[in-house]
Amino acid sequence: MKISPKQYARGLYDSLLGKSDSEVKEVLHTFVSILGRDRVLSREKEITAAFVEIWNSENGEMAASITSAHELAGDSREAVVSYLKNRTGAKSVILTENVDKNLLGGFVLKYESKVLDGSLKTNLADLKASMEK
Amino acid sequence: MSTKDFIIEQLKTEISGFKAEISEKSVGRVLKISDGIALVSGLSEAMMSEILTFKTAHGDVAGVALNLEENLVGAIILGEFTAIKEGDEVLATKRILEVPVGEAMVGRVVNPLGEPIDGKGKIEASKFYPVEKIAPGVITRASVNQPVQTGIKSIDAMIPIGRGQRELIIGDRQLGKTAIAIDTIINQKGQNMKCVYVAIGQKESKVAGIVAKLEEAGAMAYTTIVLAGASSPASLLYIAPYAGCAMAEYFLDKGEDVLIVYDDLSKHAVSYREISLLLRRPPGREAYPGDVFYLHSRLLERACKLNADFGGGSITALPIIETQAGDLSAYIPTNVISITDGQIFLEPELFYKGNRPAVNAGLSVSRVGSSAQIKAMKKVAGKMRLEAAQYRELAGFAQFGSDLDEDTRRKLERGQRLYEIFKQDQYQPLSVAKQVLIYWSLLGGHLDNVPVEDIRKFEEGLYKYADTNNEVLKLIAEKKELSEEIEAKMKSLVEDYKGTVDYLLK
Repeated sequence: MKISPKQYARGLYDSLLGKSDSEVKEVLHTFVSILGRDRVLSREKEITAAFVEIWNSENGEMAASITSAHELAGDSREAVVSYLKNRTGAKSVILTENVDKNLLGGFVLKYESKVLDGSLKTNLADLKASMEK
Repeated sequence: MSTKDFIIEQLKTEISGFKAEISEKSVGRVLKISDGIALVSGLSEAMMSEILTFKTAHGDVAGVALNLEENLVGAIILGEFTAIKEGDEVLATKRILEVPVGEAMVGRVVNPLGEPIDGKGKIEASKFYPVEKIAPGVITRASVNQPVQTGIKSIDAMIPIGRGQRELIIGDRQLGKTAIAIDTIINQKGQNMKCVYVAIGQKESKVAGIVAKLEEAGAMAYTTIVLAGASSPASLLYIAPYAGCAMAEYFLDKGEDVLIVYDDLSKHAVSYREISLLLRRPPGREAYPGDVFYLHSRLLERACKLNADFGGGSITALPIIETQAGDLSAYIPTNVISITDGQIFLEPELFYKGNRPAVNAGLSVSRVGSSAQIKAMKKVAGKMRLEAAQYRELAGFAQFGSDLDEDTRRKLERGQRLYEIFKQDQYQPLSVAKQVLIYWSLLGGHLDNVPVEDIRKFEEGLYKYADTNNEVLKLIAEKKELSEEIEAKMKSLVEDYKGTVDYLLK
């Protein structure tokens, strides 16, 4: 049976649980040799991505990105992080920030497969659409 | 009053009243796009047959989620898929695929999404029905008890169809399958019936011809045409019959009777096969996917007769299947034959002999329709079916010798006249009273001295004569059964007419 990248990643995660640093090295070595045996080394990217996902969900970490027109002030960053924690139950949030002047104002928050679009640009487009009706 | 200042004042209040609403949206990205099928990442909360909006550089395109996998959603695209590119954003709308329904749809030609394509302007529909719906259950149903008059002599007598029945029309190409369906629609004038004609993968020229014919016959006043033409993508062909059925269900819920024609389901199965193979579902027999039976059974189960507690409406379905070289045992024909309550089988041999409509009386059946026939028709049809069967049996022998006994000769003569009566021109449906009259005359032996080649001429004349002496036809239509009084009147009518013609046998 074919093993999916997700299953490899899950196996790796489970076998790494509660291991010391030196043991980790050993486990990784075995894991890579298994990948070699199964001839799936070329799918390394997918396996790594799946592993990060599993790690994040097991440890309550969550990745999110926010794009805003101006750089975020400290307290608004705090507000976003606490919003995400409340919303998803994650223990910690890894927030990547981008600045895009085209948004004019406000922000676009992306996490998991959700988008929270509070940018002035979208609002203006909505206003235009509602006025045209 | 509408000065510049006023407008600006109004604008200001409008703008200050405009609340920027932020709502969370479920978003995915196009991973792969090919042949009207898109694979979309994300969208973890997408529902089955949910409408997805593809944001492209040239505006929004709608799609429908069809495959929900662990990390992917497989979607079919309804419309122009060439504008969609890899990486485009896809929004979930939280709406199941639905079509506009209502009185406004009647008399219109629409595409499977309910958008008008007849150039008669926008359709103002206030109601929407989901395209996929579970068929009515046991509690809500009643058995078929009212006839659908197709107006075709051979069908109304031998293969009667009841309101709420599903009767398959099956045969090779160019044998008049659509003609039967269109004649039936034309004959529903004044019968308290709404009609929906769903054209799946048909040539647009053919559909244009049908629309013109229906308009000419005044049938568009109660008919909706759902068109997914041969050039439409497979996704539209796939949803067309379900969309048509949703439009019919609106009238069903109002307690009305609806006739729906699916023309044809073999092309529907082919388009579903295309979608399934592109979605990488495993192929089975004839490369159709495993659920191709369910594809048609769930559609045809939506045809029903509801009982009085649930409004008493009905949907009568006439699915059409095109066979290849008369092969009834191919996958799709056997499937649909087993789902429906009977079939009308058209045969090339009969067609080319000039017996049109080319209904094969032996292979065609109606499993429930006879309980819906009016009494008068039931009385003549029973005897007539026997005559037809005996004639078919004897006709084979008759070719060998002329040395036949009296009884056999008589049966052959009767049978020839019967098959002559079965012949009927297209677009000329016949009222049930006239059908009873002609069959009764034949079975009573009143046509025995009319030459076979003159039967049709005689028939035509008889109808004209009966129309001017309207009483008998009216009586049959009202009483719906044959009393001795009516039979006596029919006899005198036929004898009187025979007195006016000069080609009778001595």
